[in-house]
Amino acid sequence: MNNMTNGGLFSVPGLRRLRVMTQKELLQLFRDVALMVFFLYSFTGDIYLAASGVSMQLKNAAIATLDADYSFASRELASRFQPPYFQPAGSVADARQAIRRLDDGDVMAVLDVPPRFQERLQRGEQVSVQLQVDTSNSVLGFLASSYGAQIVGKYALEAAAQREGLAAAGGIAGPLVEADTRVWYNPNQNDAWFMGISELLTVVTLFSILLPAAAMVREKERGTIEQLMVTPLTSFQILFPKVVAMTLVILAGSAIALFGVLGPLFQLPMRGSLVTFFLITALYVFTTAGLGLLAATVARNLAQVGMLTVVILMPMLLLSGAWTPIEAMPPWMRGLAWISPLHYFLDAAYGILLKGVGLDLLWDSVLAMTGLGIIVFAAGMRRFGRQFG
Amino acid sequence: MNLQRIVALAWKEWREIIRDRLFFALAFVVPAMLMLLFGFGLTLDVENLPFAVVDYDKTAASRDYAYRFISSRYFAFQGYAADEHDVDALLADNKVRMVLVIPPRFDERLGRGEPAPVQVLIDGTFPERTQTSMGYVAAINSAVSLDNMAHALSRVRGIPLPEARQRVQPVKLEVRYLYNQSVKSIWSLAPKLIMLIMMLSPPFLTAVGVVREKESGSIFNIYSSTVSPGEFLLGKLAPYVAISIANAMFLWLLATWLFGAPFKGDPLFFAFATVLYVICTTGIGLVISMLVQTQVAAMIVASIVSIIPAVLYSGVLLPLPSLSPAASMLAHALPPMYYTNIVVGCFLKAVSWHALWLEVLVLAAYAVGLFGLGYLLFTKRPKS
Repeated sequence: MNNMTNGGLFSVPGLRRLRVMTQKELLQLFRDVALMVFFLYSFTGDIYLAASGVSMQLKNAAIATLDADYSFASRELASRFQPPYFQPAGSVADARQAIRRLDDGDVMAVLDVPPRFQERLQRGEQVSVQLQVDTSNSVLGFLASSYGAQIVGKYALEAAAQREGLAAAGGIAGPLVEADTRVWYNPNQNDAWFMGISELLTVVTLFSILLPAAAMVREKERGTIEQLMVTPLTSFQILFPKVVAMTLVILAGSAIALFGVLGPLFQLPMRGSLVTFFLITALYVFTTAGLGLLAATVARNLAQVGMLTVVILMPMLLLSGAWTPIEAMPPWMRGLAWISPLHYFLDAAYGILLKGVGLDLLWDSVLAMTGLGIIVFAAGMRRFGRQFG
Repeated sequence: MNLQRIVALAWKEWREIIRDRLFFALAFVVPAMLMLLFGFGLTLDVENLPFAVVDYDKTAASRDYAYRFISSRYFAFQGYAADEHDVDALLADNKVRMVLVIPPRFDERLGRGEPAPVQVLIDGTFPERTQTSMGYVAAINSAVSLDNMAHALSRVRGIPLPEARQRVQPVKLEVRYLYNQSVKSIWSLAPKLIMLIMMLSPPFLTAVGVVREKESGSIFNIYSSTVSPGEFLLGKLAPYVAISIANAMFLWLLATWLFGAPFKGDPLFFAFATVLYVICTTGIGLVISMLVQTQVAAMIVASIVSIIPAVLYSGVLLPLPSLSPAASMLAHALPPMYYTNIVVGCFLKAVSWHALWLEVLVLAAYAVGLFGLGYLLFTKRPKS
């Protein structure tokens, strides 16, 4: 009785064991100095670099002009290729030089204006200009040709309006459709928000798979698992504290990343409830750690775990929807994305931080993550129990 | 340097690798599997973007206009929404990524020959996708506008429609896509996947392989033997380099046969550069293994220094010209970027030595530097 009041909740034997085991895991983690240094770097420096250093947009693509006309009209057209999308990079004398500059990667596009451009334009003929685009990077190639088409299209329409007498004070008077585009949630298209969150999720995923898997297999390899097996601990009491310890450490890392890097340095809005965010992160780490532990029960040594986690990690990171739109994937691949916990975590994290949504909209993601977590954890425990029970 | 000792060490390492069946299988299966998964799944094209329409006008003209989007393969129509308030929840819940709002009097304005505004709401969570979809929207809108202008002009001037069409579009843009004429993303992606995957698996294999001996203590056998540090490193790493070269060859076959990526360059040059690259990435694993004491740390460090730069700073997903100075410096300091230039050059541009000698030189310097560093860090008399 006395014992109960002194120790509080933790004097219940099961809970006390969990607490002691969690402490043991934390201690083991903190003693690996090289690991802790990298852990801190990942949640600060690495996220800072990704958020500040990367932009997915076409910016200042170098464009050269091959102007065979040398007229007012051709110069006017060429001068419309301006920052932010394009950066004029001088002119080239002939087609051979154009190709050479494209080959060298010195320019990304060449605008080719044919001879007698202005003359034919004034006579009302239809003139073709050519844009040669380096599409080695197909995304950028597409954007460059898309912006190019918009610039030339606008120029053409204005030229036509001038000639046909349709020009009005404010622009062109005609049955045009004018789109007023509004970008929601990230109106200035700040890449740092996307990249920062994406990198945070990447780092969280990486650690939540690797740490528990490695910790588990290390005990197997060194044989300390045998010591644990002869204690009164159940396999749940052995596995669960590992996950709890890793979850605590990773949550601390995420807090450092959010409040130490993304918030103050990049003005990440964090529109939704942060409590919800951390709860969902804990759930995600838990689910993903289950995956790691499952891998650990399959593997017999760390080298195997290393390869297994690469197989799990890389597809998860690249195919869950941060880098490639799920809608555009082939159907069977979409099926794979639905069993990836990261897919749901992405929805939840971007939803909470950028869109400000709450559990009323995210319940389905939370449910799916919980379901996946229970399945992988149960499978891991079963295998573990069979191996050592 | 005693060749016999090196061979003996390499043989010992090789046998250790094959005896670990699962590890041996994974060493070959992992790269091929990643290639298949990414080759089929990693589409950078933006297609089937889910969208909804709010049509306040409800006329034939507004429906025709909406149909331009509905029939496009870039957009996937999710239905009409009653008004803008429904739209908030749809966008917030990722049910749609774009909403097209057609205001009242759309038909009336166009009929009178006035510009008609429409509103496009786009989810800006993923900036690159947002930009691409804005490009699609602009293309559809300008096609609609040109059509309308041509019809109006043909009515007003009494000229046939084709002539009116030509008159409203005096300048046409022809786009020539160089190096990858169909802008198929798999063509530009498959070669870069070789780079990506060969950046992932060799460091892992090597780092864990070396640290395993450190952690299990079997490295003391080496310390106390007559094997010199250089012999140890060469013998130890030879099997890993061999496995990775075999993998790289297999990935090349997959890229050309399965994904049909054109290979226009010089195979010999490509093979040489690839061997250099594999030596570099193996060297990264070596240096990691010298710096850390535990396999856990080796795995974490290997994943941070290989996965993240390979994904972010190699030019696969992110265009290199738009990196900030700091990130660009990082990109230039690591081997993946140079090898990306080589694979892209060899596959898509048919260039070789004259354009890529610098890249090869950098990779060679890297390989020498990494192995030199590994050699310096390896000591047969560890502290403690």
